[in-house]
Amino acid sequence: MIEAVDLSKRYGAKTAVDGISFTVKPGRVTGFLGPNGAGKSTTMRMIVGLDNPSGGDVRVNGKHYAQHSAPLREVGALLDAKAVHTKRSAYNHLRAMAATHGIPNSRVREVIEMTGLGPVAKKRVGGFSLGMGQRLGIACALLGDPHTVILDEPVNGLDPEGVQWVRHLAKGLAAEGRTVFLSSHLMSEMALTADHLIVIGRGRIIADAPISEILDGHGQSRTRVRTDNPAELVRALAADGVTSQQLEPELLEITGADSRRIAEAALAGRILVYELTPLQASLEDAYMQLTTDEVEYHSHTLPQSPAGTGAEEGR
Amino acid sequence: MAHTATAPNPEHTAARRGAASGPGVNFLRVLKSEWIKVTTIPSTVIMLTSTVVIMVGLAALFAWQTTVLLDLQSNPEMAAQVQGAPDATSLVATIPGSGLVFGQLLIGSLAVVLIASEWGTGMIRSTMVAVPKRIPALLAKQLVFALIAFVLGAGSAFAGYFVAQPILAPSELAFGLDTDGVLLHIINTGSVLALVAVLAMSIGTLLRNTAGGVVTTIGLLFVVPILVATLLAGIADWIPDAARFLPSSAGEQMVAITIADGALTQGQGALVLTGWALALLVVSLIVTRKRDV
Repeated sequence: MIEAVDLSKRYGAKTAVDGISFTVKPGRVTGFLGPNGAGKSTTMRMIVGLDNPSGGDVRVNGKHYAQHSAPLREVGALLDAKAVHTKRSAYNHLRAMAATHGIPNSRVREVIEMTGLGPVAKKRVGGFSLGMGQRLGIACALLGDPHTVILDEPVNGLDPEGVQWVRHLAKGLAAEGRTVFLSSHLMSEMALTADHLIVIGRGRIIADAPISEILDGHGQSRTRVRTDNPAELVRALAADGVTSQQLEPELLEITGADSRRIAEAALAGRILVYELTPLQASLEDAYMQLTTDEVEYHSHTLPQSPAGTGAEEGR
Repeated sequence: MAHTATAPNPEHTAARRGAASGPGVNFLRVLKSEWIKVTTIPSTVIMLTSTVVIMVGLAALFAWQTTVLLDLQSNPEMAAQVQGAPDATSLVATIPGSGLVFGQLLIGSLAVVLIASEWGTGMIRSTMVAVPKRIPALLAKQLVFALIAFVLGAGSAFAGYFVAQPILAPSELAFGLDTDGVLLHIINTGSVLALVAVLAMSIGTLLRNTAGGVVTTIGLLFVVPILVATLLAGIADWIPDAARFLPSSAGEQMVAITIADGALTQGQGALVLTGWALALLVVSLIVTRKRDV
């Protein structure tokens, strides 16, 4: 259980986290979603006491993180990959971490097994790939077999097999009744893993709801239709709230009418329809809709500058 | 890679109960953790070993140099040329710790590296998440390394004593461990290194940067004394007097066999250097407790 109340963090004039309140409950995977620079990592660092809040308060399992007598047994955190000395081996790193809590070496070997680090455990962490670094971070988070697991961008740099493994791990931990708090800027990953979403943008909470609710509320269902007479079908469907978009000469994307209604309209108008695919509103759409105004770093198409043109000519 | 568990099996749950029954963080455990950390970085172990070799080597070299000096002085023709050279007999008793300056340089730098590299690599976040009260983690690291520095310093001086005797013997300069002040000299060679380690690690903790910390430490230990003795001495009368309280001068006095008039005694030197080390340590602890990691 993680409870944040009016939590904020300012770095000089810049406000990274702006008075957010939320609760992460046990028994489910809570996703923490937001664009880069939205304040996800800062929030997680405050949860485990690395950063002091400028205002407000955050507690884990009822206490401030630093007040726990056995913090690693309460909370396991993967904050960023490779919070590890590059010249030390993974095994020795875990051993040093475990020693602070009197966690036996048998548990160290266990988490190495669990995270698939066995073959590289005795090697220097400096030579690890990003994915191996992530696995080590996760191993470290699981060391104390904690009630609460916080993973900041855990799938970063993992191969598809690793991504799937993290997904199963998170769900498994939640199913055992633990609190799982998972951050990501990848909406697709969240859609597959999280039960509940907290969406953050520019240091503020934009949404805090079950994932299904966020999908229903913000994404409209669309249907992909292939027909040899799109104009006629659009006319037949013309009604309030039905909009369509012609993507290809014979391909339409219709919003505001379900596939049954489209089929009925087509039948009534004797229009040939050869594809009718309901498209689930993607979390991505919902997310984009939620965060368009909250993105810190927009990508812009660069205007064609004279200098650029010059370079083109120079080639 | 393919072999990865997805959910804890009953075995893990059993292990969990066993593990969970133990209490949490305590200082002894943090000490053990810091001991593991120091001993599992190969370059640290290599640095420490080289320090011992160099310190013992310097003691041997200095013993040999002393015998050569004495030979020169006993030769009337050459004696004129080495006029002003210190009296060889008064030097022999400090031979065991003659590697101390070099030892300070290496131990001071290594102390900075040990803590600053935690910030450099991000390791500090793991450390502070495991020990969120922060101060025990820093104190444990300081204590572990200060102990290593003490044992290394005193051990090297002790070894230096035994290496020097056969070299000095032909010139009849060999001396016993019971000679006045020799044992204290040997022990304080370790004490100086331990205190310098604390001072340097505190600087490293404050600056959180290896290069900056090493430069600052070397500046304080080796450059400031030279500046004070040359450039600044002329500015005011009190400056050379105050120079006695620099960490380097205090350290020199700690290992001195004979105390010059007006100089600090071994005990006073120890107090001054301890003061420097403790003051920097306290500041580094307060700052680390308040600052974000």
